[in-house]
Amino acid sequence: MVEFAIHTRGVGKTFGNHTAVSDFDLDVPRGTIYGLLGPNGSGKTTMIRMIMGILLPDQGRIEIFGVPSDFRSRRRVGYLPEERGVYEKMRVLDQLVFLGEIRGVDRSVARARASEWLERLSLAEWAGRKVEDLSKGMQQKVQFIGTVLHDPDLLILDEPFSGLDPINQEVLEAIVREEQARGKTILFSTHLMEQAERLCERVCLISRSRKVLDGELKILRREERSGVVAVEFDGEGSWLDVPWVESKATVGEGIHVTLAEGTDPKRLLGAALEGGVQLRRFELVEPSLREIFVRHAGAGPESSGPESTGLKSSGSLEAAS
Amino acid sequence: MKPVWTVARREFLERVRSRGFIIGTVALPLVVLILIGASAALGSRGQQARRNIALVDFTGYLGERVRTGLESSGYQVEVVPRDGVDGLDGRVADGEFFGYLLLDDLTLEEGAAVFRGKEPPGTLSEGLIRATIVQSALAARLRGTGDGRDADALLRGGSLEFESTSGESSAEDLRAATIAGFVGAMLLYMSMLVYGTFVMRSVLEEKRNRVVEVVISSIRPWQLMLGKILGVGAVGLAQLTIWALAFLLILLLALPNLVAMWPLLDELGDMSRFVPGVGTVALFGTYFLLGYFLYSSLFAAVGAICTREEEAQQVQFPIIMLLVFPLILQTSTLEGNGFPWLDWAAVFPFFSPILMFPRAVAGLVPGWMVALSIVLMILALVGTAWVAGRIYRVGILMQGKRPTLPQILRWVREAD
Repeated sequence: MVEFAIHTRGVGKTFGNHTAVSDFDLDVPRGTIYGLLGPNGSGKTTMIRMIMGILLPDQGRIEIFGVPSDFRSRRRVGYLPEERGVYEKMRVLDQLVFLGEIRGVDRSVARARASEWLERLSLAEWAGRKVEDLSKGMQQKVQFIGTVLHDPDLLILDEPFSGLDPINQEVLEAIVREEQARGKTILFSTHLMEQAERLCERVCLISRSRKVLDGELKILRREERSGVVAVEFDGEGSWLDVPWVESKATVGEGIHVTLAEGTDPKRLLGAALEGGVQLRRFELVEPSLREIFVRHAGAGPESSGPESTGLKSSGSLEAAS
Repeated sequence: MKPVWTVARREFLERVRSRGFIIGTVALPLVVLILIGASAALGSRGQQARRNIALVDFTGYLGERVRTGLESSGYQVEVVPRDGVDGLDGRVADGEFFGYLLLDDLTLEEGAAVFRGKEPPGTLSEGLIRATIVQSALAARLRGTGDGRDADALLRGGSLEFESTSGESSAEDLRAATIAGFVGAMLLYMSMLVYGTFVMRSVLEEKRNRVVEVVISSIRPWQLMLGKILGVGAVGLAQLTIWALAFLLILLLALPNLVAMWPLLDELGDMSRFVPGVGTVALFGTYFLLGYFLYSSLFAAVGAICTREEEAQQVQFPIIMLLVFPLILQTSTLEGNGFPWLDWAAVFPFFSPILMFPRAVAGLVPGWMVALSIVLMILALVGTAWVAGRIYRVGILMQGKRPTLPQILRWVREAD
C-alpha cells in the first residue's frame, strides 16, 4: 500500500517570465481531505493542472499512488476543473454516460450510476434536458457527478464550491465526507478559508507560487497559537493595564488580550486573581486559518520577486459568507 | 480502440440528432420531392390548357406543317378555316383556346407571325412556336426552288456525331461521364470542406468549453482526434447516402412529369446514363474517405492551435486554398482534358480527389495513374495524421495566444 495518493517533489512551472509554481513539494496522504489554499492567482490551479497532466511541469516529478502521473494512473482520478467543462448541447444523462464510458465504465453501468447520482442531487427530472437549459449551479452538480461516476480513488476538485448556494455547498460537503469515509482521497483547492477549516484535515497554504505551510490543520493551529487569550469577566478591567499586555480588543461578550512575546498565559490568570475579578472564561485562542495565512503569507519570503509582476499573484483573501 | 468508438459514437449521435441535420438531410430532399411532384401535377394541367391553340393559315401551305410540328412537341392545334377568324377572339375568351396563330405571306417571307391571346405564351413556348414556324417556312420555300429532296433533317439543325479515337465509349457516355465526374468533384470539394470544418469547430468547441481538459486526462489525444474524425465522417457518409438516394428517387419519380412539362428535356436523352455505376460509386467512396481524412486532420490541427472561431477562419485559409485551387483548375477544363500537365497535378495528394476523380471516371487517364494517386494519398494521409496529431496533442490544451509557426514546428519535432 502506497502512503501517498499524491506525491510531488520540486515541481516548477514558468509561463514566459511569470513563475506560476515554484519548487513545490506536496504530499497528500491516502484517505484524507486535503485543502489547497491560496488567493486567486497563487498557483493552485496550475499545480492541479500539472498533477492532471494538462500542463507539463518544467521541473520536478509528480506521482499518483506511487507511479508517475500518466493515462493509466489518472484513470483512478476524478477531476473537476475550475472552468466548467460541459458539452452545452448534450443531454444531461448522455453527457454523464459519455464521461463514464471514456474512463472505462460500461455504458449500462454508467447509465445506472448516473441516474442514481442525479436522483441523489435532485436532478433526476433534468436527465433528458440539454445541459445549457440548466442553471450554472445545476451544471456544476452535473459536472461533479461526471467526476465521481467512475468511482475514482482520488478526487481532485478545483474550486468545487464556488458558484453553489449554501444548501448545495452543504450537499457537496456531505458527499465529500462520505467519499472519504469510503476510503477515498480528496484534494480540493479553494480561496475560502472558512470552508477549508470546516472540511479539511490537512491543508497546504500557497502564496505567490510557493508553498508557505502545510500539515495537519489541528497541529498547525496549536503551533500557531499566538499568545491571544480570550477572557470574559465581571468587574473592572483595570487589571489588564500591565506592561506585558500588548493590546486588547473587544470581541462579542469578551476581550481578546494579546500578550507580549514570550509571556506565559498563566501570568494573566494570576493577574486576574490579584485584580479580584470573577472570570467567566479564560481561553487560549487558536488562530483561524485566515489569521495563520495572513501571518505567513504577509511575513513570508518575498518569493517570486520580479517575475511575479504582471499577473495578480497576491489577490485578496475572500471570506465565506 | 474503445475510447475512439465512444468519442466517435458521441460525435455521430449528437450531430445526427441535431435539428440542423434533420432539416438539411431528411426534410430538405423531402420538400424538394414534394414541390417537384406538386408543381408537376399542377403544372401539367395548367400547361395542357396553355397548349391548346388554334391556327389560321392565310398562305395555303404553312398550316399543316406548323400543326404537325407543334403537335409533335405536345401542342393541340386546331386549324380553323379563314372565314372562322372572326369568331376566334370570342372562343379564346370562352377558354376554348389559349390563343391563336395567324400565318400570312409575311410569315412565309420573313418568318413573322401573330399570336393573339389573353396573355403572351411563355418564353419556352414562344421559342418553340417560332422555331416551328421558321422551319415550316424554310421547308416551304426550299420546296419552291424545285429541289425535291427532303430537307427536314437539315432544318432541324443537323447533328455532330462524336467518334472516340480510342474506341469504346460513345459520345453520350463520355459526356455523361464528364458531367458525372464534375458533379462528383464538386461533391468531394463540398464534403471535404464542410465536414472538415465540422471537425475544426468540434475541436474548437471542446477547447472553448474546457471539456477537453476532462477528456484528455482520461484518454489519449490521438484517440480523441481520431474518434472525432470518424464520427463526423460517419455523419458525412450518412448524409451523402441519404442525398444520393433522394436524388435517385427524384430522378425516377419526377422525371416523367418534368419531361411532360418541358418536352425539350427529352433532348438530353436517356437520363439513366446519369445514374452512376458501381465502379464510379466505389471510386467516389475511395476519394471521399481518403480526401476527408487528409483534410479533416489538417482542420483538426487548425482547431487545436486556435481559441476563437474568428481566429480559426484566418488560419484555415491555406487549407481552403488547397481545396479551391484544384477546383478552379478543374472548372477551367470542363470542356475536355485541357493541359496534359493537369493529369500530373492530379497525382498530387491534396488535389487528387477534385482533379483525379473526374479524370478517372471519364477514363481520361490510364489506370496506373489513378492507382498512383491513391497510393500517394495514403502515404500523405499517414504523414499528415502524424504531424496533425502532434500539433493537436499540444494545441488542445493551450489557451490564449496563438502559437507562432516556429513554435508549432517545435511541437511537431519535440512531442514525445
